Amino acid sequence: MKLDPVTLEILATKFAAAAEEMSYFLKRTGRSQYVKEAADFSTALVDTRGKFYAYPRNIGVSGFFDLDCGPTIAAVGHLEPGDVIITNHPYMSSGLATHLPDFNLVQPYFHDGRIVSYGWSFVHSADVGGRVPSSISPSNFELFQEGMLIPPMKLVKRGEMNKDAEGFLRANCRTPDANMGDIRAMLAALHLGERRVARIIAQHGIDTFEAAIPGVLSYTAVKAREAFRSIPDGTFEFWDYIDDDLVSALPLRIRLKLTIDDGLLHLDFTGSDPQVQAAYNLPTAGKRHSQMTAWLTSYALTRDPTLPLNSGMLEPVTIYTERGSLLNPEFPAAVGVRHAIVHRVMDATNGALAQALPDFMPAGCAGIIIPVVLAEPEDSNGRRNVSVVQPMVGGGGAHNGGDGADGRHSGPVNIGNNPLETTEANADVTILSYAMRIDSGGAGEWRGGSGAELTFSPHQSGSQVLGRGMDRFRFVPWGLAGGLPGLAARTIVNRGRPDEHEVGKLDMVELQAGDTITILTPGGGGYGDPLKRDPQRVLKDVRGGFVSAESALRDYGVHIADDRVDKSATTLRRSEMVAARARDPERPFFAFGRERDVWDAVFDDTLLSRISAALLTLPLGARTVARRVLWAALLAVIERNVPFAPDALAHARVAVERELALLEARVVKPALLTASAA
Amino acid sequence: MNDAGEGSSQAVRIGIDAGGTFTDFVAAFPDGRVLYHKEPSSSIDPSEPVDRGIRLLLDQAELSPDHPVLIVHGTTIGLNAVLQRKGAKVAVVVSRGTRDILEFERGRLPDYLNLLARKPEPLVPRERVIEIDARLDAQGETVRSPSREEMDELCDSIARIDPDAVAVSLINSYRNSFLEEEIGAAIRKRFPNILVTESSRVWPEIREYERSVVACLNAGIHPLLNDYLNTLSTRVASTGRPVALQLTTSAGGMLSLESARERPVETMLSGPASGTIAAARLAAEVGVSEAITFDMGGTSADIAILSDGRFEFTTNSHIGGLPLIMPVVGVSSIGAGGGSILTVDSAGALKVGPESAGSDPGPVAYGRGGNKPTLTDCYIALGIIDPADFLGGRLKIDRAAAEAALAVVAGKIGRTDAAEAGQAALDIATTRMATELFKLLALGGHDPSKQMLIPFGGAGPTHAIMLAEEAGLAGIVVPPAAATFCALGAALADVRRDLLRSIGEARFETLDRRLWPVWSELEAEAQNWLRVENVPVLDVSMEYSLDMRYAGQSHNMLVTVAEPIRQAHDLQGVAEALHAAHEALYGFRETDDAVEVVSVRLSITGRVPAITLPDLAVSQAAPVPKGTRAVFQRDRWVDAQVFHRSDLLADDVVAGPAVIVQPDTTTWLPSPWTLKVHRNGALIASRSNADEA
Repeated sequence: MKLDPVTLEILATKFAAAAEEMSYFLKRTGRSQYVKEAADFSTALVDTRGKFYAYPRNIGVSGFFDLDCGPTIAAVGHLEPGDVIITNHPYMSSGLATHLPDFNLVQPYFHDGRIVSYGWSFVHSADVGGRVPSSISPSNFELFQEGMLIPPMKLVKRGEMNKDAEGFLRANCRTPDANMGDIRAMLAALHLGERRVARIIAQHGIDTFEAAIPGVLSYTAVKAREAFRSIPDGTFEFWDYIDDDLVSALPLRIRLKLTIDDGLLHLDFTGSDPQVQAAYNLPTAGKRHSQMTAWLTSYALTRDPTLPLNSGMLEPVTIYTERGSLLNPEFPAAVGVRHAIVHRVMDATNGALAQALPDFMPAGCAGIIIPVVLAEPEDSNGRRNVSVVQPMVGGGGAHNGGDGADGRHSGPVNIGNNPLETTEANADVTILSYAMRIDSGGAGEWRGGSGAELTFSPHQSGSQVLGRGMDRFRFVPWGLAGGLPGLAARTIVNRGRPDEHEVGKLDMVELQAGDTITILTPGGGGYGDPLKRDPQRVLKDVRGGFVSAESALRDYGVHIADDRVDKSATTLRRSEMVAARARDPERPFFAFGRERDVWDAVFDDTLLSRISAALLTLPLGARTVARRVLWAALLAVIERNVPFAPDALAHARVAVERELALLEARVVKPALLTASAA
Repeated sequence: MNDAGEGSSQAVRIGIDAGGTFTDFVAAFPDGRVLYHKEPSSSIDPSEPVDRGIRLLLDQAELSPDHPVLIVHGTTIGLNAVLQRKGAKVAVVVSRGTRDILEFERGRLPDYLNLLARKPEPLVPRERVIEIDARLDAQGETVRSPSREEMDELCDSIARIDPDAVAVSLINSYRNSFLEEEIGAAIRKRFPNILVTESSRVWPEIREYERSVVACLNAGIHPLLNDYLNTLSTRVASTGRPVALQLTTSAGGMLSLESARERPVETMLSGPASGTIAAARLAAEVGVSEAITFDMGGTSADIAILSDGRFEFTTNSHIGGLPLIMPVVGVSSIGAGGGSILTVDSAGALKVGPESAGSDPGPVAYGRGGNKPTLTDCYIALGIIDPADFLGGRLKIDRAAAEAALAVVAGKIGRTDAAEAGQAALDIATTRMATELFKLLALGGHDPSKQMLIPFGGAGPTHAIMLAEEAGLAGIVVPPAAATFCALGAALADVRRDLLRSIGEARFETLDRRLWPVWSELEAEAQNWLRVENVPVLDVSMEYSLDMRYAGQSHNMLVTVAEPIRQAHDLQGVAEALHAAHEALYGFRETDDAVEVVSVRLSITGRVPAITLPDLAVSQAAPVPKGTRAVFQRDRWVDAQVFHRSDLLADDVVAGPAVIVQPDTTTWLPSPWTLKVHRNGALIASRSNADEA
């Protein structure tokens, strides 16, 4: 049965509204801060294959509409009306859950005794047990440290809560009441979805309902491909780095080869680093996955804002990831901080697209989300007050025709902030500043967005500050087409005092009463030649305090005195700067900043791709050891929060290459022998 | 409730709704007469048509020169200034370290799915935000107080900026207004002509961004509204009559000029709020307690929900992307208006809106250059609107042009003709409205099948039954004078004000000593305010409510606390009120969880004497149609009877298919719907076979 376009439009509207209504309901009834403040939850309607056909637009986590419930449903087997499945297992759910705090619930919706649809919902729970409060720590090195594991199983059977399961869940976390509150809200949202599906079927009939689901998906796929056709055909390669995994100082690389052919996209992540013994792995089960296509879906929606949100949008996209890599890790790799990887996947996608569409795509964004958490010492009752002081992001990248957003991340990173007054009422802390970070946005004809600055002082000694998700202390948001990169992140204790010190990228730092901590997030990259920026715009930035007068002169060649642009001095200065450039002819499309330039000069793509390839031929256990041995010489000469020394890197490369040759001899030869034997 | 003797001394009440195109008037006289009037609005001097209309109505009424007149006026001056960002030049004074409150907003980008999204222009640019060493802690104690020198420096900075108005918004001032007032006083002393708004005096609610927005909006529209009110007062005073001038508020009340000058932000959304006052009265007259207003104009369709006879308020409305946390009548847009444009996308899907042809160029049928078909063109092509009698014949309608444009749409979506395409577009628009309506009803836990729809605005009565059918509503009530409905609401407004104090995140254990005194203070403040307003009222009522939550939640519930509970200082009763409200809305209660109170609220209402509206004569015979015309209903043409609204009398019954024509709108009554005329003139329609279904 093929539906006419009018009926299809009507059903599509009702599907989307139902999914959205479920989320509004969940948001209002959910219990934890993750629901209320961070909006780390969602709902959807799922077809009988397990793919999403309707997803909310303006609420909850954006862009999770290409997850796959199929394996989770299959794992449970026979389902009856009133059953609800729960799982948080990244591997047994084949990437439906991507870290343990995400409780995923799936409910079958029946009509006339058979399943015609499913409802889905997830919430990031406050805590699921494990080694640390709130369950996520970068230094966890295997899944079992990250909390309880729930394989796909029935939480509710024929409408009755599985009390054994509930008891097990409650016993294995630090926040049983909040978790069960969130779960109850999810169950209620799923029931609401069930009633909405029933209403649509009652109004339009089951045949129309069932025909509309593939109809909506294929309509979306056609429209999405049309949007992707705006990318010229070709192959574009790009790689970007996470500073390190906090366990060692070794940078982690995400490498993408993007091929576009008439609106069909293939993303090949071969050459990305192998999985690590820290919580920086992204479990995707080797499939196309929402977490890897976030930047692409935003691209499609930028071209066509009317696209419905469902899995059809990714129909023109295929993905390859190597098993055992950061983007397709093997059990039991820890996954808690996988969003740091997701950010870099977005940056890599952006960089590849920027080569295809240099006049359209933005420069590098800050590429971080840091929920800055304050954990106060235990009170006399043994309770600890733990609260998010501020969820922080940095600046957006500039594009041809527009500055990057200040203190906000453009693209699919849409996180709200906390009122300072609410934080001060909740926690024993004074917030001294929450402001734009001057001169942090990369200079350009279009300026990168400013990073943010947060300074606060806990009132109690022994208060701990956690900054999960910090990055871009070394590898900065890149500039485009002559624009400069944004400033790197910094973390400073007691800034401006004699005992001021940098603490850099941190997992946790303990403070005494009266200490201050300052967190500075990166600015976005600039776009285009800063010397072409309209001097009046530079003046406005100086007046507003986004750019200092010194930077105006140094980076933009704009001379500002007495709150005015000195035109003749500016003309002179700019012509001098142009002349100085003639001696330095190479002006690459990407401006990566000093650390990346030093690194790239020594550790080039060919070598790094060889290393990944060689390591991935080894079984997991052997690979970990081999990787440590291979990089030993480099690890001896680099340190977190200390700039690279070019000579030391070059020296280390010799040793790394020697180890690589040994490794290749060991792993490549047996393969060759096998091949020749066959 | 007033007898004639009392009525003779009662003031004439004139309600005014000054909109973008027309300024509407409704005058209610003590003898029961009601006059309606419209003047074209003026963008140069909006007070001029207001003055002209008032004089005209008073002259017509032949009153004695000393008869008291109460004018209740709704204006969009403040709203338009904010929407167009044409408010006064405002400077903001903030605590050191918080200069960027307005830059960050609440962190989210409005168009975050767009990779090229830019940050919205802040309400006040960063160079006009001044930091000062003034800081309170979360308990409201002063931590840092500016020295005399720092105050002088502040004033020097203000002098350099040379603003029209200044807002002062310090961190934690919701707990204590002292420091803001001290700074405000210093600024007023140095700049007597600059209007100063202290955030803690306008709306002392926790959350610095939202409170700062209130303060900046207040400051930004202050000078504009002040100028307007001065001009208008002078004009009105020159009538030589004892005229009292009041303004309507976003919360559906009215306040004096003096109050409006101090808190102009309270008047911003008064237009839609006034419509709901009139709707509430209409609902009461026809015995309906659950209803939805449906105001469908050229660009959008807006609704408000009436529950148990009262309109729902919201504390999270938005104006041009800015949050407004003060309580306003909850009016939400649910979709398309008559001018919304039809498009067919590349994959063959028919879309309605969001682009609108507005009134200029308007629909294709208006012949003013519009070449994209709109919903209004659909009504015309389907025969619902009569081309010969549109807007009382004042506007020439080109039906053939509308049909030609729709025929093109039909070709693209596989339909045979203009009528089918028009029907498809109306179905899609109706579906969108119904789904949005469902979301809003679901948020408040309302059952659609119990709701009556009260349509007004140009297209409201035309589209109402389509929406009622799709959403499964109980029926519709078309008000007597749909076009001047908001002006009528203004004339009916009571004196009302909301007061609030945030007390932080108070744990229940500590509440006993904090809660009751705050309410007593608010009560005294409210009564004092009402005394100064000096408007004769029949009686005064107070409503007590709290923003409450379970510990750990950040979303507050607005919980009404019954007066006996407050009088008895019954804390358990307060907790029970939260549990009951939570259960009513979400189906469960969390009795084991700690309860917190964030803000304490009080609203005071002084009820003004009722207005008597005239009744229709009772019908003696079945109404006679003016004729019939073909209307496309559900895939076929039917003969619909055509009635003039002015010919219908009380108790008349009309069975669909029929169209009821009046100069400013058309009511479409498909079969199997039937309407009955109420004695107050309202048309009450429901599905005839509702009982059988």
